[in-house]
Order: sequence, then structure tokens, then C-alpha cells
Amino acid sequence: MGALQAEHFRKIREAMDRGLLPQWVLTDPDVWALEQERVFPRTWQFLGHESEVPVPGAFVTRWMVHDPVLVVRGEDGEIRAFLNACPHRGTLLCTADAGTQAAFTCPYHGWTFDAQGALIGVALAHQVWGTELCRAEWGLKPIPRLERYQGLLFGTLDPAAPPLVEYLGAMTWYLDLLVGRSGGMEVWGPPHRWVVAGNWKLLYENFTGDPYHVQSTHRSTVELGITPQRVVRGWQVVLPHGHGINVTQYLEVPERPYQRTPEALWPRFREHLNPVQEELLRRAAVLVGGIFPTLSFVSPLHGTGEDLYNFLNLRVWRPLAPDRVEVWSWCLVDRAAPEAYKRAAYKAYVDSFGPSGTLEQDDTEMWARVMQASRGWMVRDKTLNYNNVINYLMGFGRVEPDPTFPGPGTAYPGFVDAVSRSTHRFWLHLLTDGAEEGSGEA
Amino acid sequence: MNPEIRAAIEELLYHEAYLLDHRRYGEWLDLFTDDVVYRMPVRVTRERRAGSDVDPTAVYFDETKASLEKRVKRLSVRSAWVEENQPRHRHFVSNVVVRPTERPDEYAVRSYFLVLRSRGSDPDVDRVFGEREDRVRHVEGQWKIAARELVVDEAVLHTINLAMFL
Repeated sequence: MGALQAEHFRKIREAMDRGLLPQWVLTDPDVWALEQERVFPRTWQFLGHESEVPVPGAFVTRWMVHDPVLVVRGEDGEIRAFLNACPHRGTLLCTADAGTQAAFTCPYHGWTFDAQGALIGVALAHQVWGTELCRAEWGLKPIPRLERYQGLLFGTLDPAAPPLVEYLGAMTWYLDLLVGRSGGMEVWGPPHRWVVAGNWKLLYENFTGDPYHVQSTHRSTVELGITPQRVVRGWQVVLPHGHGINVTQYLEVPERPYQRTPEALWPRFREHLNPVQEELLRRAAVLVGGIFPTLSFVSPLHGTGEDLYNFLNLRVWRPLAPDRVEVWSWCLVDRAAPEAYKRAAYKAYVDSFGPSGTLEQDDTEMWARVMQASRGWMVRDKTLNYNNVINYLMGFGRVEPDPTFPGPGTAYPGFVDAVSRSTHRFWLHLLTDGAEEGSGEA
Repeated sequence: MNPEIRAAIEELLYHEAYLLDHRRYGEWLDLFTDDVVYRMPVRVTRERRAGSDVDPTAVYFDETKASLEKRVKRLSVRSAWVEENQPRHRHFVSNVVVRPTERPDEYAVRSYFLVLRSRGSDPDVDRVFGEREDRVRHVEGQWKIAARELVVDEAVLHTINLAMFL
């Protein structure tokens, strides 16, 4: 556990039990080292969407924090994920972001692998190699587990991890609604990628558990009328394993229901959703949440012209360092939507949540400011002499779950910090191997 | 290439950079024609044999005059926090090449750009660099930018956002 002692974890847990979090855990190098050992390798991480690898030989390269990953569809149509490194001497194998090819050759010594990971070519095989090289043992190393839900591909480095659907828990109900609603989605274009100042936990929380920031951070979009202002009511839904979702709905069914999606999709919604899900989507304004540790999503309404459009933005917060994150941002659209709507929805995404987006610009400024204020001793002192704990008190011990909310999970009405508190408890559970559980109170 | 036209177009690009660096966004908008197309496609890393590494389906910017005006308007409201502490930009423009086009009043202008941004006292400097392919048109005695395609050199941008114009 390095410099971190049981005493430190006890103090973190005690703060959490009071609805607080010591600020030092955001950027502490010992926490960061332990997160790389116990949080990321033991959880399911998002690798991509199956539409990104549509045909045999189609591949994308991704990162699970610092592990390079090659996701590729084999000749047999199966999607597999491998460590993107040549097993011979450990060289990064494929340097492209995406493409389609039948084989991957490592330029170092000239070993070649097919799209199913098998070693199919060895340079000078008959001159310099004999029986000591068993080709079957030197294929690409698979990522221990690869599973998918509604076309979303997840991998984990933990061979003993629970199945993906078990890890997602009731989040599957919401993924059915977000991704499965019309029979399938597709990714529009390659993801946007850029590097921001911030801690990954904070960024995850910004989407997953913090609708409170919208009224201030994003006030400019309200001032300009880019963000629709209508009477809505909202819930924050706590799900297992640090996941969560925020649901906002119009009080009355809007004139153009189902998030202003094209009418051609509505019969599909009725076909693919159960009546409770369909009714939720009919009134939905914004659905925003996350799958711990590094995936967030938002399904909003946006537009800079006359009309507003709906899209699904997926975010991976890939931590590079405790104070630095490479953001990956995908735009997904319903496969069955008319092409013109897909194009308009993509443009609405770029204008709002892309790196040039009017919403995105101000978020990144805030995350950078938290990092700027996290480097000093008053924050870093682990004995908390300066009481540098940050505030997750909203609704704590006051707001009760709303039993009338139609979806699964524990739904709190209005603005609360319940998802963040739940996320922190799961994070501490992973970090301490279950030694510090925290109380059950959200 | 007529040296006077070339000099006038270079002057336009330098003037544009000056206006942006001094946040004179209203005057900057006047440098564009009403039918301007302002685009910045996404650059990706591809194998050499896979062809162009500029992806035509994905963009950082896909703007019209109206949407550029909207972006400028947003930056001017009080709660555009990204502009609140007046980040300092510097637009460097170089390697200008002017070529005639099929239209007598329009020229194709290639240039290189490097944009640096300093925010507050943060030692991290945001950077964006690449190549511009502009169409510059002579309209009522003035040179204006009728199209801009920005090809950025990084597949992973090292700027915390693209709140600036390029």
C-alpha cells in the first residue's frame, strides 16, 4: 500500500460517512498508484462500439489507462481485444487509430499476426528458428475478458471479474433505453480526443452525479437560449458499483415527444422498449450518467440553429496522470434515423459537447481550476489539519428516495449528491480491497 | 502571381490574426463573406497505405457566418467563464502561398498556423497548429475570406478546449 496506511483510509471513510471527501485524494500520487493497481484493472472499461469495427479486419486501437488495446473483428466475424503489443519483444504493434486490414506486422523483427491474433508469419522462420518456437504459444495476448451490451464493448483485465451484465446491474435497463431504443445505434465518425487538466474522478462525477453545476457553469448557454428552459422535474438514480444516471422529464408530454427524434423512429421505440421505458423516453428531456470508472454519457437536446436535435455522447475519461485526462468523445445516432437527421444531430453534438462546444468550453475551465487549487499543502496534508474536505452534502440525511420513480435503482427527487457519495464508497471499497466499506447511507 | 494581390492577401491574414489576438471579434467577423464555410475536420493516425488521415466525416468546426456569429455572441456574455480571465492568444501565420482559381475575383491561399494560448498564471500553454486552405474573394473593394479549411496536425489535441478561433 506504499505510503498509504490503514489510518488514511479510515479517515477517508469517516469523511465519506459525513457526506464529505478529503480533497487530497483527487491528486495524491500514492492514491493514483493504487488506482492503477486496484481500480482500473478490476473494473469493466469501455472500449468502443461494434459499429466501429463493421467488417472482418476492421480494427480500432484504444487504451485502458496505459494498456494499449487492439479491438479487431476476425475473419469469423467475432470481435476480439488484444494487448496491442508484439509478444516477441513487447513493441507497440499497431500505431494507427483505426483501419481495415487482414494482418498486423510488427516492424521490429517482422512477426505477423492475423485478425484473430494468431502468429501467422515469422521472419526467416526456417533459417533462424527451429522447434524452440511453438507458434501457437506466441499469438497476441488477449485482454482477459471482452463482453458487450447493446453493441457497447467493454473489457477488463480481471479474469475473475463478474460478468458485464452483473457489473452493470440495473444500468442495463437504462442502456436499453439509451442505446437499444430503436434497435441499434452507430458511431458517427472517429471520436474527438483532447487532453485536459483534471482528475478522472472529478470528470466522471461532473457528468454522472453533478447536475447542480449546469445552472452556473453553463449559464451562458441559458442566457443565449441555446439550452432549452422548460418546466422539468428530475431524479438522480443511484445504481450499483458506482454507476448512476440523472433523468429529467417534461411535466407535460411535449408536442414533439421522445427527445424530438424523427417520427419514423417512434414505432421502433414502442417495439424495443417496455411500456415503462417508453413512457420515460416520451417525456425525457436529458439523460446523463456514467458507468464507473471511466465512462460517462449524455443524451441531450441541442442545436444552434432553428431546431434542437438529440444524440448520444459517450465519454471516456482516460487518466494520464492524477491531474491530466485524455478525453475521448463519441457521437452516436440511431441507425434507423434518416441521414439528414443524423447529420444535424452530429452538428448539434459538435456545437455543444465537442471540444469546441459551447457547453464543453466552460467545463474544462472549471476542472483546470480545481487542479490549480489542489497543489498546496492545505489540500495535500493527509492528516486533515486544515479540514480540507470537499462538500457532497446535498440531500445528505434529508432527501428520501422517491418510490414513485418508474425505473430501477434508488431514485432521489431533485438535486442531490447521492450518486457521487455512492461512487466514492465503491472507489474506496476497490482501493482497500474491501477493508473500508463505509456506511450504506446514500 | 501579381505581387500586389499577394501582398494584400497576406495583409488580410496578418490583420485577421491581430484582431483575434486583441479579441476584436466583431471586426473579425466582418472579414468573412456571408456565404463563408469554416471547417476543421478531425485528423487521425492511419497506416500509410490507408490513404488520407483527414477524416471527412468528423469535424471540430463546421460553421456558417450565422453560427460563427453565435459563437462570438456566446463568448461575450458574462458567464462565458472560459473568457472571463481574458486568456491571451497569439496567432502566428506563415508559409503563405497564393494561387489563382477558376474565378477571377477569388484566390486559393494556403498558410501554416500556430496558435498559443496562455490562461491566467497556469504554466501549461495550450497549442493548436496546422495548415489552412482558404478561399479569399475580392468583394466591393475589400478582400474577404470566403472559405476556410483547417487541417490540424495533432490527432489528440493539446488544448483544454477549442474556445478560440483558428
